Amino acid sequence: MLVINKKNLEDLAKDLAKKSLVFVPVERQDGERVFSILGEEGGPDFEYSTTLLPAKELFFPPKEKTFVFDKKKKKVLPSFAPEKFVLFGLNLRDTEALVQLDEIMKKPKPDYFYFQKRDASTVVSIINVADPLPHVGIDLILEKVNEKEYKALPLSDKGRSILRSKFFENKEKIKAKVNPESKKMPKLRKLLLDPELLKDAVEWSWKGKPEIWDGLAKKCLGCGVCTYVCPLCYCFSIEDRCSLDGEKCTKSREWDACTLPGFAKIAGGHNFHKSLKERYYNWYYHKFVRGYKEFGKSQCVACGRCQKYCPAGIDIEKVLVEIVNQYQKLK
Amino acid sequence: MKNIYLPEQVKIEKIETLSSDVKLFRLKKKLGKFKADKNKMVFTPAQFLLVGVWGYGESPFGCASSPYERSFVDIVARNTGGRVTSALHKLEKGAEITVRGPFGNGFPLEFFEGKDLVMATGGCGIPPIAALMEYVVKNRKKFGEVYLLYGARSPEDILMKSDLKRWEKDIKIILTVDKATPGWNGCVGFVPDMVNMIKIDARRAVATMCGPGPMTNALEKVLRPLGISDRRIFVSAERKMQCGVGKCQHCTTGDKYVCMDGPVFNFDEIDKNWD
Repeated sequence: MLVINKKNLEDLAKDLAKKSLVFVPVERQDGERVFSILGEEGGPDFEYSTTLLPAKELFFPPKEKTFVFDKKKKKVLPSFAPEKFVLFGLNLRDTEALVQLDEIMKKPKPDYFYFQKRDASTVVSIINVADPLPHVGIDLILEKVNEKEYKALPLSDKGRSILRSKFFENKEKIKAKVNPESKKMPKLRKLLLDPELLKDAVEWSWKGKPEIWDGLAKKCLGCGVCTYVCPLCYCFSIEDRCSLDGEKCTKSREWDACTLPGFAKIAGGHNFHKSLKERYYNWYYHKFVRGYKEFGKSQCVACGRCQKYCPAGIDIEKVLVEIVNQYQKLK
Repeated sequence: MKNIYLPEQVKIEKIETLSSDVKLFRLKKKLGKFKADKNKMVFTPAQFLLVGVWGYGESPFGCASSPYERSFVDIVARNTGGRVTSALHKLEKGAEITVRGPFGNGFPLEFFEGKDLVMATGGCGIPPIAALMEYVVKNRKKFGEVYLLYGARSPEDILMKSDLKRWEKDIKIILTVDKATPGWNGCVGFVPDMVNMIKIDARRAVATMCGPGPMTNALEKVLRPLGISDRRIFVSAERKMQCGVGKCQHCTTGDKYVCMDGPVFNFDEIDKNWD
């Protein structure tokens, strides 16, 4: 079994950084964890709980130029392939989210801009808690076996090539110690094991318990923060601009949020989701109903970001527990 | 990997003013003709294109020409004051714009065959119906009785008048306006009297609905009283659209994507959606 010592994790990342950009979770000066280029902002934290923005920002940035059109030549200018990079140190829940986002972006047809960057990346997960699953699409998983050591599970050629590093040693026997599950959002984590129940309960709640949504609509500020920090929110809008000299036009796509007022509003003024209640419910409906019907699972991994960063203090775990409790009382 | 967001440049071959705020744009490929499917059609009526003006954005428009026409595709755009339609309305013949698509499912034409057909539409909901009309006229023998109920704000807002004249030879057209002007002999609004004007066999009839406002009226005053079940009423739904390929989430209604699962739905398929 190939094993790497905990104290060598940062050195391994530094070695990888000799060849390409390496993004790691770091502790920023203000105490916030973020994904950042190794060495640019604070030291790496391979045992982070949540980062401010999820790793989706590397593959699906908040704003990206998609096309540049030359008006004189009447042609779309060729785009440049993204630079190769390594994302090093994704924790369990972020790993699960990235694997699920890959699946979402593949259907119905692959999202060109997302997979351009996904293909340019090598993803190394560092998993510190009990985790029985391989995560297809991740290149290398380093799973904690005891306080000092991580065992390597390569899942691609890119992942296997990292194992040539001098920091890995082959060990016949290791002292394995079971790592407990993370304590973050335990109730929601449990609910996510029964996505069908979540689907039924959330779907029922719109008409079955409208007071829940009335109450949440009063609390919610409609700011969209929950969607930006969510590793599995991916709605976007497309923006067109012209350069000041009028010679070039650009298209870019940027994160949108289904809780923002104009999300379902069409030219001419009609708004299909006029009230904040509808828009806030739509966020849950997508994650737990439409998402479930499309992909067979809830689009949530209980990463805790929306709970931590909601400026109105809405706790999605409490909301879902309440909805499920109310729903089960009926039965 | 194919870039599903890459638009294609097309040329505006002709612009026709249909009313004070509506224009028809005839789009031509820069090279060659539009590709047809095995049924020799470029699109299925009610499918739409995402039409774009560089610098201003893309918007969905139903294809309004005959689906059998390969040398051009017509779209009809009302100037809503939005970025794309305002930009389109400023363009002149010969200008280049972009298209992506056709997207969506279109009307289930095979299911319509052998049946009576009632098409209810209003205002700018005429384009997808225009394409369906062209299909019906070309395949007239495959259909029983065919009616078009077309409502507009005023007589001058009735679009595609010359096409209506042409279609009138093969099908029955009932025009209605919200506000009559002197000289108007047609109906005012979708009125219950229309039920008596339509002679169909409800057991083997299908209906289509397009356009926002008049839909509910047409449904409650005409289609349901005629005895056409909600299952056989096909609605072309309207939503905000950005990507056209089931990703961006703007067009969802319940668990459906209007851009991929629609725009045509059985009425009973979407009327129970929470949104």
